[in-house]
Amino acid sequence: MCADPLFEKSLYDLIRGLRNHKGNEKEYIQNCLKECRSEIRGQDMDVKATALLKLVYLEMVGHDMSWASFHVLEVMSSQKYHQKRVGYLAAVQSFRPDTDVLMMATNLLKKDVAASLPTIICLPIAALPHLVTPSLAMSLLGDLLPRLGHSHAAIRKKTVVTLYRLALVYPEALRASWPKIKERLMDPDEDSSVTAAIVNVVCELGWRRPHDFLPLAPRLFELLVDGGNNWMAIKLIKLFATLTPLEPRLVRKLLPPLTNLIRTTPAMSLLYECINGIIQGGILGDGEDFAAREEVASLCVTKLRGMVSANSDPNLKYVALLAFNRIVVTHPFLVAQQEDVILECIDSEDITIRIKALDLVQGMVSSDNLLSIVSRLMRQLKASSAVISQQQNGFEGQDPETDSSDETSADSRRRRKTLERATPPLPDDYTVDVIGRILRMCSQDNYANMADFDWYLDVLTQLVRIAPAPRARDLDVDSSTPKLPGDSAEKIGNELRNVAVKVKAIRAPAVRAAELAVSRMNSEMSSSRPVVSGALKPVAWMVGEYAFQLLSPDDTLRHLLDLLPRVEYPEVLATCLQAILKLLAYVAGDEQASWTSERKTTVSLLMARVIHVLEPFASHPYLEVQERAVEFIELLKLTAEAASGQAASTDEVQQDPPLLLTQAIPSLFNGWELNSVAAGTQQNVPIPDDLDLDEPIHPNLNSLLSQADSLMLPTQGDDEFEAYYNQKPAATSMSSEPAITRLVDAPEEISSSYQQSEESYLDPDIVARRKAERLERHRDDPFYIPDATASGGRSTPIHSILQKENGPDLDIDAIPIMQLDLEKPNLSGRATPVEHYQQQQQPKPKPRQRIVVAADETLFGSGLSTPRSTAYDSENNNNNNNSSDYVPRPKSKSSKLTTTAAAAKKLKQQSLLQFTSTHLDDLSISETGGGGGSSGGGGRDGALAHERQQREEAEMALALKEVQRLRLEMQRANERIQVAQGVPVEGVVVSSRKKKMKTKAKTKKKEGEEEGQDGAGSGGDREEGVVVKKVKKKSGKKTAKVEGDQGAGEEGGAPVVKAKKKKVKRLVRLDEGEGVATAAVEAAGVEAEGEVV
Amino acid sequence: MINAFLVFNGQGQPRLTKFYTQLDTSIQQRLISEIFTLVSNRAAGSCNFLPLPPLLAASSTSNTSSSAQEQNDVPSLVTYRNYATLYFIVISTSTESPLALIDLIQVYVEALDRLFENVCELDLIFNFETLHATLGEMIVGGVVIETNMERIVAGVRAQGTVVKRPVNEGRGGGGGGLAGSLGAGLGMGGMVWHGR
Repeated sequence: MCADPLFEKSLYDLIRGLRNHKGNEKEYIQNCLKECRSEIRGQDMDVKATALLKLVYLEMVGHDMSWASFHVLEVMSSQKYHQKRVGYLAAVQSFRPDTDVLMMATNLLKKDVAASLPTIICLPIAALPHLVTPSLAMSLLGDLLPRLGHSHAAIRKKTVVTLYRLALVYPEALRASWPKIKERLMDPDEDSSVTAAIVNVVCELGWRRPHDFLPLAPRLFELLVDGGNNWMAIKLIKLFATLTPLEPRLVRKLLPPLTNLIRTTPAMSLLYECINGIIQGGILGDGEDFAAREEVASLCVTKLRGMVSANSDPNLKYVALLAFNRIVVTHPFLVAQQEDVILECIDSEDITIRIKALDLVQGMVSSDNLLSIVSRLMRQLKASSAVISQQQNGFEGQDPETDSSDETSADSRRRRKTLERATPPLPDDYTVDVIGRILRMCSQDNYANMADFDWYLDVLTQLVRIAPAPRARDLDVDSSTPKLPGDSAEKIGNELRNVAVKVKAIRAPAVRAAELAVSRMNSEMSSSRPVVSGALKPVAWMVGEYAFQLLSPDDTLRHLLDLLPRVEYPEVLATCLQAILKLLAYVAGDEQASWTSERKTTVSLLMARVIHVLEPFASHPYLEVQERAVEFIELLKLTAEAASGQAASTDEVQQDPPLLLTQAIPSLFNGWELNSVAAGTQQNVPIPDDLDLDEPIHPNLNSLLSQADSLMLPTQGDDEFEAYYNQKPAATSMSSEPAITRLVDAPEEISSSYQQSEESYLDPDIVARRKAERLERHRDDPFYIPDATASGGRSTPIHSILQKENGPDLDIDAIPIMQLDLEKPNLSGRATPVEHYQQQQQPKPKPRQRIVVAADETLFGSGLSTPRSTAYDSENNNNNNNSSDYVPRPKSKSSKLTTTAAAAKKLKQQSLLQFTSTHLDDLSISETGGGGGSSGGGGRDGALAHERQQREEAEMALALKEVQRLRLEMQRANERIQVAQGVPVEGVVVSSRKKKMKTKAKTKKKEGEEEGQDGAGSGGDREEGVVVKKVKKKSGKKTAKVEGDQGAGEEGGAPVVKAKKKKVKRLVRLDEGEGVATAAVEAAGVEAEGEVV
Repeated sequence: MINAFLVFNGQGQPRLTKFYTQLDTSIQQRLISEIFTLVSNRAAGSCNFLPLPPLLAASSTSNTSSSAQEQNDVPSLVTYRNYATLYFIVISTSTESPLALIDLIQVYVEALDRLFENVCELDLIFNFETLHATLGEMIVGGVVIETNMERIVAGVRAQGTVVKRPVNEGRGGGGGGLAGSLGAGLGMGGMVWHGR
């Protein structure tokens, strides 16, 4: 519905139109934009302003209006206030750092700052913080400063803030304005809201440069005590919190009023900030007046505790957690005391609160509470995924094979959105976050807090099942989002791998978990669906590397072969290829077994199968995959040939299996055990001095190759490398901690509740396995009460309570374990029963508390390496506990920010919406702060800078006057000539020129170099005078000179032309002297020419 | 400091956007929609603070290397309040007091209520200049300059008359039922932390 162009729409019409065009707003808006485009180009200022206002409205809805920036300037310069206001609003809303017309706004802003109407003054002052650039700040500083003394309080307070924003980009501004701002602050008669605004600004400055504001402390204190303004008091307290660390004497002064406020104020926000300030300001720290502080500390902590506890208002909960998050840095013990209430917050319905609580908890993890914290989180995740699977399958996780296999993930997600509003499942990104945190908490400090690796494996197995579904499709066991390299399934898989690599004692069960994962992955996927799980990669590596630990290598090989054609990601594919060959080597390469005809057939078939599966990958586009596939295929073909050529052994003749199969292929992989290597160690491998990469590997390589016996490929000799790789890695032992710390363990109830609760977050099959393992493990343990007697009336009151609470579902079998708590004694230093690991194919039983977690291997002198799980390929950039070796990888996260290229670039440098106040770091204003602090010479210089500038301005003004005088002289001289020749005088033109020139000079002078200012000002003009005289003398002669020539060419043509040309040249010269861009000169020149013609 | 002040309605349509640092229009819109997604999924009885939207969280973690001090420059707090059909959002750095920000929003809404006499969403739709003017009397360049109701209202009135909503666009009338009194919906005395 295009309006008749004759009748322009008002903003009101536009909005109404928008509301009446539901459905086809896009088209309507496009039409409106078109209209605005033409309206804004018109002459009528009212139409222009209206069009601009409409554009601003549309900008708010997301329609770019950067193209209109010049028109914004036009409207800003309008004489009418209501139009001007629209212009300024448009500038604030639409100008971006790259808006170039801003250069032209300087004069306008100056003029409006100096206006007489307060409403007009306010416009540029309020707009400047949005527009300011260093050069703009520099030119406007002088105009803004007097506004600090304006009679209207509203203008004074706005000016203070604007000066602060100027200072952020141009620190000199603060130096120049600070004396005046301070004067305002000190003035007891100053308007209260101006004082409050100044306090706000000082508070912002305070945390960056606290030293400079110490001298103000008495006045600030006075304001705090009798200010009577809660907003200001909050800011003052925040400010004092940054000052007290520098001046401990302040603490004693502050304590009485603060405690008084805490006890009396009805304002919750003030109360909270008092507490926060006390703790942040280090006032809780131990000092002389111990009793008083003790009292304050308990007062604060009880108040905060009250805020966090269950029934309090959610906002208070949140801010209290916020406070705890700050306190924990300085006073971790105070926070640790509140562990119980904080842990409760993890289960809050409010995700904001949960996340804040998690932030806190992550720093509070110890080996004592790790289990219970992770259990809580696991229960949340399980409950959430149960909701999902319920929606899918109609029953909850009874069958672990199906509970998280959502073949129709997208579908289920949609259903999830609509169904089950009562207990909404957790959002995926929260789930991913929690999984990341669980992994981080557990692996922290090289698994320092991990007491029970068996449990951890179960948690990982469970996690892999409940990891959130990826966007489109999804696997089960390792279901997650493989699109991103940092997807959570891969992280979980990596953890599994890390545990297997680093903790030898737990390797066997870890490998079995991987085995299970592979088989689930294969069995649960319909064969047509591509495999997209990120967990497959680490898991496949494990089954290949530790094939001898597998329960059923044959089956695993089969599963992998089934999976291979469906794997989507080349990196995963490459790892799987390698794993397949490793498995094959293990399965088929048994040296001892005799080469029966049966074995011969099986092996041949198996190899044929593998070759068949690998064949398609020989032409894979991804080189790594292609190379491995080709290599393996060729190798296997050779081996197959050898196998078929080798007759099977009969009863009479004993035949050996082909060596290629039993020796060559296995030897490819039976090197040395792979250990985890610390990040950055690779870079520390010293380059040997005699390394010459151009040198042939061996002078007689060909003959060497022909001699080479394939059997000799692996060098088994005692060479340096073997010695190097066989060195025992430095190990961190779990037992390094004194046993006594483990003795003070949580009471039995807690451990029992954890055992019981396992069932609330682990799938039934995992729980069943755990139970079976326990039974097995303790079969011969006289202290263990077997099943038969479990129900035999041994229950204590605790059991009956538990039973009542948990209902009939409570597993009776678990009770004896709770009661006798066989896990705990293990921790306390007694040797575990030998059976423990023997049952699990473990060659040597290892006492639980002596579990060795291998540290990352490092090279001597590597600054980057500390024992941290580096193989744990962490994408957790927000790792709070990152140790020094942590190499942040922002790519994965920032890659999401693929907006416009420019924006992305900007983002990398600086956070969105961030204010940059770093410049202020180098600034010192303390010199004017009166006495104390660190007044330096730099400050003096800085303070002088502004004065110098003012002096220069004054000189400039003088020079300009001189120019004017000379010009008038010249003009008169010209007139005389013209009159003599009978040509009319054009004084008007000249004077207007003059004005223009003056403003231009003024605009540019501050940017321009100071050098040659005098020359440009008076000297240059004197020269000009000379030239003019010359011209007069040579009036008949033609001297065409190039522009920029100081000699200033003159034309002896028609007198009129001559006079005007002269003016132009003058402009040129003056500008040049001041280093002004030639563009201005050219513009002036063109204009002048236009007049001539 | 305050990084941004936003108002949008229950459908995520912006009614006021004010960013105190310059930001691309497209990124502004993304931020708004991310915050809207967060805000619209809040359960009743949740607190008035949002987790950082992905856009902000990503950019603030991408420079983890920066010191704790510099964290004071980075937006870290998203406070919101819901009045009738509208959401008011404040994005701020950690130097602002969270509870005071809740109050600040309250002051803003009360000031609008004063100016429009029983304000409703329609008033705000058709007078977004006044919205800007009112905000300009409270916050300049990301710093709070005034929290006193009388002065805010006086400051706005000094800039010209505040137009009431168009007569024929009656409350709850033509415009598709968007109108609903903010004043009534908000329970002005409700949850206030009395920063004032």
